[in-house]
Amino acid sequence: MFVLYPLVKLGIDSFSTGDGLSNYAAVFESAAGRKALITTVIGSVIVAVLAVGIGGICSWYIRSTKSTFARIVLWLAVLTPFWMGTVTKNYAIVLLIAENGALNQLLDVVGLSGLDLLYTPTAVLLGMVYTMVPYAAVSIYGALLTIDDSLLSAARSMGASRARIIRTIVLPLAMPGIVASTALVFAISLGFYVTPVLLGGAQTPFMATFIQDRILTFFDYGVASAASVVLLVIAIVILGLVVALVGRERLVRAIA
Amino acid sequence: MRLSPRTSDRITRIAGFVTVTLAAAFLLAPVLLTAVLSFSNDPYFGVPPDTWGFRQYETLFTDQIWRDALMLSLKIALPVGLLSAVIAVPAVFAIHRSRLPGRNVLHVGGLAGIIIPISAFAVAMYGVLADFGLLGTYAGLVLANTVLALPLMLVVTSAALSRIPVELELAAMVTGASRARAWFGITLRLLAPAMIGGFVLAVVTSFDEAVFINFIGGPGLTTLPKAILDSARLGVDPVIMAVATLLMVATSILMILALKFARSTDE
Repeated sequence: MFVLYPLVKLGIDSFSTGDGLSNYAAVFESAAGRKALITTVIGSVIVAVLAVGIGGICSWYIRSTKSTFARIVLWLAVLTPFWMGTVTKNYAIVLLIAENGALNQLLDVVGLSGLDLLYTPTAVLLGMVYTMVPYAAVSIYGALLTIDDSLLSAARSMGASRARIIRTIVLPLAMPGIVASTALVFAISLGFYVTPVLLGGAQTPFMATFIQDRILTFFDYGVASAASVVLLVIAIVILGLVVALVGRERLVRAIA
Repeated sequence: MRLSPRTSDRITRIAGFVTVTLAAAFLLAPVLLTAVLSFSNDPYFGVPPDTWGFRQYETLFTDQIWRDALMLSLKIALPVGLLSAVIAVPAVFAIHRSRLPGRNVLHVGGLAGIIIPISAFAVAMYGVLADFGLLGTYAGLVLANTVLALPLMLVVTSAALSRIPVELELAAMVTGASRARAWFGITLRLLAPAMIGGFVLAVVTSFDEAVFINFIGGPGLTTLPKAILDSARLGVDPVIMAVATLLMVATSILMILALKFARSTDE
């Protein structure tokens, strides 16, 4: 109830402040709103694919490697972003990609020209992927654990190559988990706030910063709530689709 | 051209290894970088630093701003942990042990807090708190953070409770324990480690919260994450590296503790 009441009220407010659909019109008709929406949705798709890709490969390695050392290092790597504070991890990425940051110093040493990544959409995506990899890895790892080892050794003994085992056994069996995890990462990515603020700067339009500007700079709660509802609806539609596709249990398991 | 299985195996293995190594480097680099740079003695940011030492830590501990922010964060996080425990425990019993109509709604609603876009949620909280005149107040922040931390508490305690057989409680009652005694003595006792784990998770979540505070906080309410964010927005202040390093160490310890407690119910 604590969670749902604010959301329902948000929906009602988005219509009742101002007249009817005017708040939604303001979101879709303003160039800033449209641009923010498009950047956010496309960005979240990219983040979901990359995070699930990286997280998936890492969790497969954790599942299949025989070296305890590799397993520990990988778990550590995968869980680190999760354990760093929200603000501190984004700040750490600033240190990495800033104009005089570590990455550019490194490039300088090997004789390459520096990159100007900070305050670009790429920087925001980098930060978001960094945050989301643990979510993807942990939830896909859960799906991979359910795959029976004997299937894999059977395939191997009959001469299937690694790539083929992964393509024909692991991927199809893990697919529901992968789909659930992609949807989850996508939905969470829509709402990112700290990353766009710190890594995106003023030029990179994301919904979270758009919404905050409406509320705190223009005191336009109506438009902000309409924009929030748009985000919510996108998230709910995607999550709903996934529930229809792979079942509610999968999604709940991906979260927990 | 068709590759022999062995060659293709080798290619897959090498490609996989390279990808995983790069991924691990990408995931670990920011932490290591922050931790190492926090021992820079320069008053400005630079890689590599010109001098090394504890200057950033000294500034951190002597500066009133950081101390106030830390105190406020603690003053919010601890009540949030307690409050979410007080709400979550009856809620998980309602979900698992009753036939209450709408218990599924309760479950989904609890989880929704984790997956819905946080900034949309923040606007919703803004609307609600504005109605009650709680915007920019300490009480409002505690309330909003509780809503955020509650799902974690729910997930942890609910997983633990589903593993405690209801028969234990019934057996106690059959052998003469009162209902209250059976409940407190058996079920709640078995649930306690998960509750502590959930409490720590809730406290950490609230302590780390940096989105709500920007929407519903106000002047005079600067939590630690907000202080870092404000400072980082203005530029790269080397003191933040010290804050970040200490926070990382503290969170890691707490999270490991929380996981230990949450898991100990398994056995």
